[in-house]
Amino acid sequence: MPNWLKSDRAFQKVRSLLFYLSLFLFFCGLPLILLFALGYKFNRSSLGFVKTGLIYIKTQPEGANVYLNGQPLCEKTPMSIQELIPGVYRITLTLTKYYPWRSEVDVEAGKVSRIDKVILFPLRPDLERLNRSGFSSFRADTEEGKIYYLDEENRIVYRSDLEGKNFEDIASLPDKFGRIDGWGISPDKDKMFIFNSRQIGVVFLDNQDDYMYSDSSISLDCRREEIIRVFWHSDSYHLIVLTDKHVAVIEARALARAVNLVQLNKEAREAFYDDKRQVLYFSDTQRGSDGSLYNNLYKLELSPELYLLERLMKKANEESHNFKASF
Amino acid sequence: MKKAIILKRAFEIIPGALSWGIIISLIALSVAYPVASAILIISFDFYWIIRTIYLTTLLIMAHHRISRQRGKDWLGLCLSLPAGKGWQDLYQLVIFPVYNEGLEVLRPSLEALSASHYPKEKFIVVMAFEERSPRAYDNALALEKEFSAKFGSYLSTYHPDNLPGEGRTKGANASWAAGAAKKLIDARRIGCEHVVVSCFDADTCVDPEYFGCLSYHFLTSEKPHQASYQPMPVYNNNIWQAPSFARLVEISSSFCQMIDSMRLEKFVTFSSHSMSFKTLVEVGYWPTNMISDDSVIYWKSFLHYNGDYRVVPLYITVSMDVAYSSNIWKTIVVQYKQKRRWAWGVENFPFVAEGFMENREIPLLKKLRRSFNLLESHVSWAVWAVILMVIGPLPIFFGGRLFSQMAIAYNLPKITGLLFQFTLFTSLTWIFLSWTILPPRPKGVSWLKNVLLLLEWFFVPAIVLLLGSSPAIDAQSRLMFARYMEFNPTLKGNKVL
Repeated sequence: MPNWLKSDRAFQKVRSLLFYLSLFLFFCGLPLILLFALGYKFNRSSLGFVKTGLIYIKTQPEGANVYLNGQPLCEKTPMSIQELIPGVYRITLTLTKYYPWRSEVDVEAGKVSRIDKVILFPLRPDLERLNRSGFSSFRADTEEGKIYYLDEENRIVYRSDLEGKNFEDIASLPDKFGRIDGWGISPDKDKMFIFNSRQIGVVFLDNQDDYMYSDSSISLDCRREEIIRVFWHSDSYHLIVLTDKHVAVIEARALARAVNLVQLNKEAREAFYDDKRQVLYFSDTQRGSDGSLYNNLYKLELSPELYLLERLMKKANEESHNFKASF
Repeated sequence: MKKAIILKRAFEIIPGALSWGIIISLIALSVAYPVASAILIISFDFYWIIRTIYLTTLLIMAHHRISRQRGKDWLGLCLSLPAGKGWQDLYQLVIFPVYNEGLEVLRPSLEALSASHYPKEKFIVVMAFEERSPRAYDNALALEKEFSAKFGSYLSTYHPDNLPGEGRTKGANASWAAGAAKKLIDARRIGCEHVVVSCFDADTCVDPEYFGCLSYHFLTSEKPHQASYQPMPVYNNNIWQAPSFARLVEISSSFCQMIDSMRLEKFVTFSSHSMSFKTLVEVGYWPTNMISDDSVIYWKSFLHYNGDYRVVPLYITVSMDVAYSSNIWKTIVVQYKQKRRWAWGVENFPFVAEGFMENREIPLLKKLRRSFNLLESHVSWAVWAVILMVIGPLPIFFGGRLFSQMAIAYNLPKITGLLFQFTLFTSLTWIFLSWTILPPRPKGVSWLKNVLLLLEWFFVPAIVLLLGSSPAIDAQSRLMFARYMEFNPTLKGNKVL
């Protein structure tokens, strides 16, 4: 027999051996792997398999110490505790300089109890002062990356970036305007309204770091109704005003006249204006067909096609007005 | 007749239906019964780990055999054989079927042949051109002028186009050339039993010891005419110039062939191979209307000898070109088409199944075993990468809240992750072995190419999906829907095209 044939046969024998060894490994190993995958654990005392469960823990930040029924575990989060006999376990998570997290977790056979939304809060949060000087209230515009500060005492409006840097004064508040109950920056960031129960003022912001518009602010007086909420319309020109008697719209210009869109039967203290969809949500009481009064939530669409509003404005010229505008 | 057609179609449908059935059932199972799907996927993952380790061990053994036989004086061994073995009477018929390859591809093949450590007068070289190829006559004349004096006999043949019953296949050209060679051999009164025929791809460069090795194995085999002789194909001709992923695909192909050479009961001829000319004549040459002529000739012989036919592995290399093109996308297309053509070897299944049904002499167990091996190899070629990379994560996606709370949902990605760690380990072995079969780095090729050769292995998952499963699924689907492929030769060249 030639050597190559001897070699062939010898290698075939080794290969057969390997093949059967692989088969043996597969058929012996597969049940064990599947049992493990399904959550079974070999119990030495009963010499049988017990179905177990596991706890998966993930924290923010990671690296927290894990205690199971008071006993520390070696691994830190994110981690899993496997092969747990079904039952209730006490879990404690600790991390230096963070509040600990404690809870009881119910472990079921063949299941994963997930504790994967744990946030560990710092003991002393890092507080950072952002404002430059005094202020009465602020608005944060995360889209623009600015914080607007209203300083009633010094009658100015200033702003910074979100990190409390790059301060700039952008407007003076009109002297004759009294107490300020609320304010808002227009969507185009060019102006702001301020209001109290009887007045609405429109102050032009100086975006060129040269605030010389204070004299040209507009004051819209309301003598007979109490102003509750004011919103900017998305066109940055109209104001939506909620009083104790009406839902009205008024242009942000001198001598503007308000249009009462809806007459209210009760004070609508709660209102929300969706400036993206230009819809005002407010509550009011209306009489039903049975004659009873019902408290309902209403939706008023302020169409983006402004001609509707403008048409209303024209019609309203001859009607009674509750607002008087002046410089 | 109608029954035979229905039967043929049924056999054509089986591989594709099985592959698609496995893929669709596993996807459906992942949606409807994620736990069952996860169990099947874990079982497959584990099977794949065992299989990869097993196959890598076979690869190491094959590699060891190649290394051990490298540089061996095979001709000396032939000369030392007893006179009765017939060494002096043995002739080597070498056929190069040429489609449209240019002189830059053909010349190195003939140069390698002429550099063989083997008596040149024993060579009958046939350059088999296609008559329809516009360059055929010019190239034939150029090569005749250069090489005809270097071999015992040299013949250029021109295969006519559109002969009845023939497809435009390599097998048709090779068979035409073998017929012409038969006339020459008969005229020289050489018995067919004294001729070993080698059918080489046009870009095949043989090792100088190849024919010594082939002759020795032929002369010392128990039944030399009942065997094909398969060298180990490597793609070293232009490996340093080829893009990394094309190189990787071809190295993997070489390795698969090396692994198969260790599984003799499954081993089938592939690409360039040799066999007894007597057997070739008896079985009626290569098939003239099938693309996978290299493997079908094995099955024809297997059926002819009632199952008593085998492939003898020759642990010696023949080098071919890596298929690539001028840019990465064209190369992907070239590679994809080449792999689809290889995967079209699935056409062997209906051929073999029909042959087995007609042949009453082959034992039933052998028929079943060989049919299963053939079917299993093609189906697993099509589905394994899809199962591992696409279907593997599906139970997690479709399992829903209830499934996500189960231990198996937690363990599935962990076990899959473990699988990839194991394949990384075996990949390191493959990387090492790939380095050892590389030819020396040519001058002008930067040493950075060595680093690239290492890094390219990270693309393996993407490549097996793109150029592993997809062409196989494509080929099986075409066969399933009777959209038969035509022979589409791979664009090859030593230079970037």
